[in-house]
Amino acid sequence: MRNYLIRRSLELIPVLFAIAFVSFWLVSKMGDPFAVLVLNPHVRPEDIQRLRHIWHWDDPLVVRFWYWLKDFVWPRQGWGLSTLAPGQTALQLISRRIPVTIAFSSTSLIAAIILSIPLGVYSALRQYSVADYILTFFAFFGMSMPTFWFGIMLIYLFAVKLHWFPAAGYHRAFFIIKGVPVMFDKAPRWMQFLDEAWHLTLPITVLTVFQVGGWLRYMRSSMLEVKSMDYVRTARAKGLPERTVIYKHAFRNAVIPIITLIGLSFPGLIGGAMITETVFAIDGIGRLTYNAVMSQDVFVAMALIMIFSILVVIGNFLADIFYAVADPRIRYS
Amino acid sequence: MEKEVLLEVKDLRTYFYTEDGVVRAVDGVSFTIHKGEVLGLVGESGCGKSVTSLSIMRLVDAPGKIVGGQIIFKGEDLLKKSEEEMRKIRGSEIAMIFQEPMTALNPVYTIGDQIMEAILTHQDVNEEEAKKQTIKLLDLVGIPDPKKRFNEYPHEMSGGMRQRAMIAMAISCNPDLLISDEATTALDVTIQAQILELMKDLQRKIGMAILFITHDLALVAEMTDSVAVTYTGKIVEYSDVRSIFKNPHHPYTYGLLESIPSLLSEKTKEPLPAIEGMVPSPYRMPKGCHFNPRCPFATDICRKEMPELKEVEPNHLVRCFHPVNVKEEVS
Repeated sequence: MRNYLIRRSLELIPVLFAIAFVSFWLVSKMGDPFAVLVLNPHVRPEDIQRLRHIWHWDDPLVVRFWYWLKDFVWPRQGWGLSTLAPGQTALQLISRRIPVTIAFSSTSLIAAIILSIPLGVYSALRQYSVADYILTFFAFFGMSMPTFWFGIMLIYLFAVKLHWFPAAGYHRAFFIIKGVPVMFDKAPRWMQFLDEAWHLTLPITVLTVFQVGGWLRYMRSSMLEVKSMDYVRTARAKGLPERTVIYKHAFRNAVIPIITLIGLSFPGLIGGAMITETVFAIDGIGRLTYNAVMSQDVFVAMALIMIFSILVVIGNFLADIFYAVADPRIRYS
Repeated sequence: MEKEVLLEVKDLRTYFYTEDGVVRAVDGVSFTIHKGEVLGLVGESGCGKSVTSLSIMRLVDAPGKIVGGQIIFKGEDLLKKSEEEMRKIRGSEIAMIFQEPMTALNPVYTIGDQIMEAILTHQDVNEEEAKKQTIKLLDLVGIPDPKKRFNEYPHEMSGGMRQRAMIAMAISCNPDLLISDEATTALDVTIQAQILELMKDLQRKIGMAILFITHDLALVAEMTDSVAVTYTGKIVEYSDVRSIFKNPHHPYTYGLLESIPSLLSEKTKEPLPAIEGMVPSPYRMPKGCHFNPRCPFATDICRKEMPELKEVEPNHLVRCFHPVNVKEEVS
């Protein structure tokens, strides 16, 4: 097991390197980040040339990639164009924005796992029952609903009409405690947490509903497939109680493909977060990406792409480990 | 001396209600197994052998349903038992070995765990004792190094070893009846011989009865005391094994026996005779005797009426209007 982990971790390095190079190449095709400066009457053409030189924009792609890689590993100040405040590094900016994204996307990931697996099993065990049809309906609803539209609908219903949840943002600016306004950062931890949870309920719902639909269907079909396997019949022929047959013999086999599926869903989670953050005006990493790309800030965009790639690769890595734990056939190979 | 009756299947009917119509997989099958006896159930694929065995275990999955008959085991009708009572019989009094040792064991649990499970379900023993018993069983079925094998997963074992493990699981609670559903079909011929030897050996030691399901008549001769030949869900010939091999009366049995290659026959250079045609589609059964389209002796009555199972010799039942008489024909 230890060797397996070490080998798998080492394999990540070339993968990340390849991702970095390909995305660097793609991002550099995005356009000239210095082109906007031409419109600025205060910037002289010589200055633009100088900036191009400082950022190695006049070097060949491979050389530029090398400087970029160096800067990514050892960040330098002002590394970025328009999205950064003076004296800020891209990673500083990202690290300030990333917690909220991780908070709500990991919550929705966990919620989706907790909901979809039992519901999928339930659906499979009562195939073609009324409950199965209702779950199937909601699963397809969740899968086919565009997240931005569903988000807007939730805002309309629960924020605009019912006033149950806020429409935007991820925390309030200040609390009123005993008639005195207190800034958010100065408020007690539990108040901060509750306020954030309240703000993030709708975005988490959007992301969760989207994931649950697909996983529920997968879990259902996987369970149905496993239910008719020979070893399930063997378990019954042994005289085991039906509960043991289903939850010990069928379930563990049925859940193996779902682990892979969940591992593969990490990029979708971040992509989904990007849209959800835009709809709910949450200053997370998704919205930052959107802004960086829109303002042609290739440096911040590249840093974000790398962060996403690392998250995705780590997600798959974790899925592989869980997979090895669940399935003895791949344990030590 | 009459032996004690262990299992008596009477007019069993198991139908499958599919979208394309009703399939009468088992259609009025009756047979008797005495204590310690080995009964062979023989027939081509799709003749309802497996469904018969699953019916005895009451493990027929939807859309299949047992619609009629009685399965009297130790004097009690299994079809009248509750699911909970049935569960206690499965694995302890009636055990089953399946055709595919590759898929019949759960890939994510060790074989020791899977065998132990049966013991823990039916016997009042603790885990340590169950483990000891399991290792003893693995040894009994001829698995070398049982202590190590206990912790191995099915994929780490060969087909023959897995089938041995299945047998160990089946005999773990000393069943009175073992159903072997094509248990050796998926194995190499040499392994097949070993497994059969093992089953015979265990049968003698434990004294259990075996319902031996196969399509291979050669195995029947070796293993069984009596034989029931099935065709399209019905028994067409039923007798003790000697009588069937010496004097098959049903043209189908005759055809099956003819198609066994023999080293001693003078006809070795000739192509092996085969029964013409195929088992009819379950949705389009021929009128009259179901075998008539393939039967060389079929006459008008065969195409109109289904013959009854009749005793043509003492204890030798045949479902045919024109039973073949080999003794006369050959001489």
